[in-house]
Amino acid sequence: MSDILLQIEDLHAGIGEKEILKGVNLTIRRGEVHAIMGPNGAGKSTLSAVLAGRPDYTVTAGSVRYAGRDLLAMTPEERSWAGLFLSFQYPTEIPGVSITNFMKAALNARRKAAGAPELGAGEFLQRLREKMAFVQMKSEFAKRDVNVGFSGGEKKRNEVFQMAMLEPVLSILDETDSGLDVDALRTVADGVNRLRTPETATIVITHYQRLLDHIVPDVVHVLKEGRIIKTAGRELVAQIEEAGYESIGA
Amino acid sequence: MKASAHSVYVLGRDEVPQQLRLGAGEQLKMTLVVPEGVSASLQMDIELAGEGAQLDLAGVYTCLGGERLSLDVNIRHSAPRCTSRQLFKGIVGGTARAAFHGLVYVAPGAAQTEARQESHALLLTPEAFVEAQPQLEIYADDVVCTHGATTGFLDPEAVFYLRSRGIGETQARMMLTEAFLAPVYARLHED
Repeated sequence: MSDILLQIEDLHAGIGEKEILKGVNLTIRRGEVHAIMGPNGAGKSTLSAVLAGRPDYTVTAGSVRYAGRDLLAMTPEERSWAGLFLSFQYPTEIPGVSITNFMKAALNARRKAAGAPELGAGEFLQRLREKMAFVQMKSEFAKRDVNVGFSGGEKKRNEVFQMAMLEPVLSILDETDSGLDVDALRTVADGVNRLRTPETATIVITHYQRLLDHIVPDVVHVLKEGRIIKTAGRELVAQIEEAGYESIGA
Repeated sequence: MKASAHSVYVLGRDEVPQQLRLGAGEQLKMTLVVPEGVSASLQMDIELAGEGAQLDLAGVYTCLGGERLSLDVNIRHSAPRCTSRQLFKGIVGGTARAAFHGLVYVAPGAAQTEARQESHALLLTPEAFVEAQPQLEIYADDVVCTHGATTGFLDPEAVFYLRSRGIGETQARMMLTEAFLAPVYARLHED
């Protein structure tokens, strides 16, 4: 089995008539952490949206292979079943749906898709408690409606909690650092780090260095105007922080 | 009837009282359920006639085919220090048409009235149609009256969020629809 988990080739995508990604190439192997950095408007969030299958984005050219499958032909739920996870930049509020019911539905949907029986109530609750503790989320959150009235930090913590529940193979963290104070940032990063295995990979999408101090990338890409204009090791992070994105030439 | 028992009426099964009058200190908690498949035109007139009367009224309607539903709810505050709360929620799909007209009338002299009315409808298909019309007529001072009315489709962001966690599209829509109606349905299990 190839250790290539994700292979993006000449990906062009956008919203409506507007092309935002203009030929992205990216290869990610199992066990790796990739950072995708870039100025606002570079296409970072479009890339994560396209990988997760957000319906309002259109792919006009290129291909994405994920674990040997054509990712772009899969529905968002099929991508989730196959181990892809997007930590949202702006997690959605779902009034009337508790975190418990949300996670129960999510876990059972994927078990059903795999032909496995539903998770027993006891087993589910144990896992829920364990993973909430893992991200230091207070247990009363289990009963609360998903993200409703959560602070920025609580929302991001909830994303990493869901990640822990779903045990993804490829995690995409879209601006997970935005809206986090230092303590929350550390907890969230710590959670992500502890979920890493040699079989899994992580894409950290960020504008700033600070998250990358905690989740240390193996490879750093700079996305600018819809293209990856530079790929290097982690030393690139410091260069960007010092001299800005302007210093990175095409 | 001093105590506030909870009356539940199912349109098409029960005879729904169309005129009610609450005397001093009386409390009424009532829930109206309009099940799928019921076409009807219903007018309810409820008067808070005695000082300190309290009304807690909710309704839920489900029109998924070709139903024609019209609900007219007139609440009249005639006496001081009465409160009325209304919450109506409906889902309308297929080619159904639903109309909700809610009038809150506060008569002169009905000081310190507190009247709240909310009416929310969820459209499941582009062919479905909802008309939600709240109306306030206030002729007294020192009152608190609020109303809110919304009509819209399921939030596509919410549908995507659930799908991104592996919940299939049909189930995601069902969960969100149930969540929308939950505040009214929860009342049916309260007592």
